[in-house]
Amino acid sequence: MRWFGFGFNAFGQIHVGEKLIKGECSDAAEEVKVFSPAELDCCSCCRVKTGCHIRASWSRRAYLHLDGDSCVCLCGVSVKDSRGCQDASVSESHLTLAFSDRIESWDLQKEEKTPSWSMGITTESSGPSLNLPLVPGGYIATKPPFYRSLSPHLKAKSLALSAEHAVLLSASGAVYTWGLGSHGQLGHGGLTPEEEPRAVEALWGMPMSCVATGGWHSVCISDGGDLYVWGWNESGQLGLPSRGLRKALQQQRSQQAGATCQDARTSPAEESQEGEKNEEVFISIQAFPALLDITPSCEIRTVSCGSRHTAAVTTTGDLYTWGWGDYGQLGHQTLISSDEPQRVEFFSEQHMRVVDVVCGAWNTFAAVVKEEVA
Amino acid sequence: MAMLWSRISAALPLNEEQFPLQFNDKVESSVLETLKRSRHQLYSNTTSASRMLNAQIILDFSWEKLNTGTWRHVDKEWRRVYSYGCLFKVAALCREEPSADEVLQALKTCDMGLLMGAAIMDNILQVIVQILQSEVRESTKEEDESEHAQVKRIKIECPHVPVIKEELAVPRIKCPSLESFNTNYLLPLKPVILEGIIDHWPALNEHPWSIEYLRSVAGCRTVPVEVGTRYTDEEWSQTLLTVNGFIDRYILNKDEAAVGYLAQHQLFDQIPELKEDIRLPDYCCLGDGDEDDITVNAWFGPGGTVSPLHQDPQQNFLAQVIGSKYIRLYSPEDTDKLYPHQSQLLHNTSQVEVENPDTERFPEFAKAPYLECVLQPGEVLFIPVQHWHYIRSLELSFSVSFWWS
Repeated sequence: MRWFGFGFNAFGQIHVGEKLIKGECSDAAEEVKVFSPAELDCCSCCRVKTGCHIRASWSRRAYLHLDGDSCVCLCGVSVKDSRGCQDASVSESHLTLAFSDRIESWDLQKEEKTPSWSMGITTESSGPSLNLPLVPGGYIATKPPFYRSLSPHLKAKSLALSAEHAVLLSASGAVYTWGLGSHGQLGHGGLTPEEEPRAVEALWGMPMSCVATGGWHSVCISDGGDLYVWGWNESGQLGLPSRGLRKALQQQRSQQAGATCQDARTSPAEESQEGEKNEEVFISIQAFPALLDITPSCEIRTVSCGSRHTAAVTTTGDLYTWGWGDYGQLGHQTLISSDEPQRVEFFSEQHMRVVDVVCGAWNTFAAVVKEEVA
Repeated sequence: MAMLWSRISAALPLNEEQFPLQFNDKVESSVLETLKRSRHQLYSNTTSASRMLNAQIILDFSWEKLNTGTWRHVDKEWRRVYSYGCLFKVAALCREEPSADEVLQALKTCDMGLLMGAAIMDNILQVIVQILQSEVRESTKEEDESEHAQVKRIKIECPHVPVIKEELAVPRIKCPSLESFNTNYLLPLKPVILEGIIDHWPALNEHPWSIEYLRSVAGCRTVPVEVGTRYTDEEWSQTLLTVNGFIDRYILNKDEAAVGYLAQHQLFDQIPELKEDIRLPDYCCLGDGDEDDITVNAWFGPGGTVSPLHQDPQQNFLAQVIGSKYIRLYSPEDTDKLYPHQSQLLHNTSQVEVENPDTERFPEFAKAPYLECVLQPGEVLFIPVQHWHYIRSLELSFSVSFWWS
């Protein structure tokens, strides 16, 4: 299994260009915005071990090696205090490691000998395996108080956390959300916050198998492989028509054509060209889950979200992306955002089968295996 | 144009060492690294594309922070980071022989920093925006004369002025003493129109406010505009336009079906030149608060703008400078007949459309007593705290409101 990445690379999360190796400031746009999938630099563990997982934040990308002597590698260097860990997550400031008997959070901005926070855990042998940020009895939040309890009634199976909200998947396939809701990201039909986990009623009766959160949007996959989206669509991250996106693209085009920046000057002629689009319903906030059709129709296997984009892997090994694309995080070899799911052709052209996807805030990492020739 | 960069760099610190980048530890080291990178580029040789790229990274990251959580709770540090992003972007745009378009972009960037960011380096964005404005003025001097002919295209609006019933008219008083205003109106919380108290404003004398004047002082500045008939409508939204753009689209050439309103904006903090044309009403000193705590808002728009019936948590002096407005006032004692919205967001706003009430849904409304007036230029309406007020502009209008306690 190999990992490819595209999008934001100002910190060498995808690959380290020559300039960075020499210690010079990497200024070149091509090095900061990787818009065509590039294979990730390996760490020395990668060469030895068969598979690894990826964890990413805005500026960081960590490898999580779980077979044999498990460990976490950051910036190509194995984090020695991570040996034996069972799971890891990385934020802008901290690396959180889950061991069988404890959770530790290390402050990545300081070089200290001890974790800045830790707690002991007792895993019941019958309980679910560790699945950060879920831990026995609760979860680890992104800011203090770090440990927050969760009612056992929820039977939490997985949890997606964002700066503003949380989406929880229960063992029975029910979805609960809480946090701030001003962009519709809680899926209850309004904009009000929820202090406690509240079931997303619109999905009741449809078991879900996977949940993911972006900065202001939420996504989940049903057992049957359907994708449901809700929240903010300002950059098309929901895959629904986005007025803000169309306007921004229009402005970009007129800027490139050398027109002046005076926003009021759209001539009547231009406006009538948009006429057929006026019939289209634009969605800036989707407050209830909406089923997202991806054409050609397919079953979604897994999904991940960056702050303002979404990436989904189908059961047939294709990767679709949509949303904000300014840093190349959609992988379509452009820096254009899109409010329609589009396949990342790079992988199909290279006869690679995508099997997993993990998004950092402004980039996307895809795990591929070689396509079997029938 | 080469002059422009030398004027801007004169406003910047002499070298990298003297350029401050201090933040609390909410700003992560990776972000600080990016800021330092940009600072370094300011004083070294590199490509304009690279400067723009790094500035944009800072802007994009801090923009996400500004949109996380409620605006009130956004850490000031992130607003400062956003302002630094704007500063670096402006420097990148103006460094190498900027085109006229790039200068306008730089102006807009400064305004974004002033609107959404927090003051940095002795409010350097304000200093730079003045430099950029004078640059734009110099280069458009010749164009101005030819534009004059077009100004006459303002449609002469014949406002349908509602007839004010005498028994419902808001009382009027000319230049009352502090004491009589306090005794007769402030303490008993009674609305009144104060006449003669803003006669001395430069906005009504030496610098009479008009569309041409506003264009010349602030034409290329970016301001927030509310689009839509009223803020309770589904179609209501906010956008950013230059003052020129707003005037062209929503005041002149009104093919535009939608109403645009430069409303509730602290324009005078953004454009100090306009602040010099107005004065704080003396009567504000009768309150408990500090002069610095007084919020001054601009309200500029065409005829037909509507502020739905609502109440505010502070005392209000509404000063009319250009044009006229129809205003109706209801006492907080009659709140039970005004059907406020239930939601937290709109609980200070009535559900009733004052000039077209749905008598079936809101039967009690007709029984609520009120006062009304047409506020003319030179007049100031005192709206006591929590007094419900409904406002419709009858023609092109510019009002200044003072919220004080």
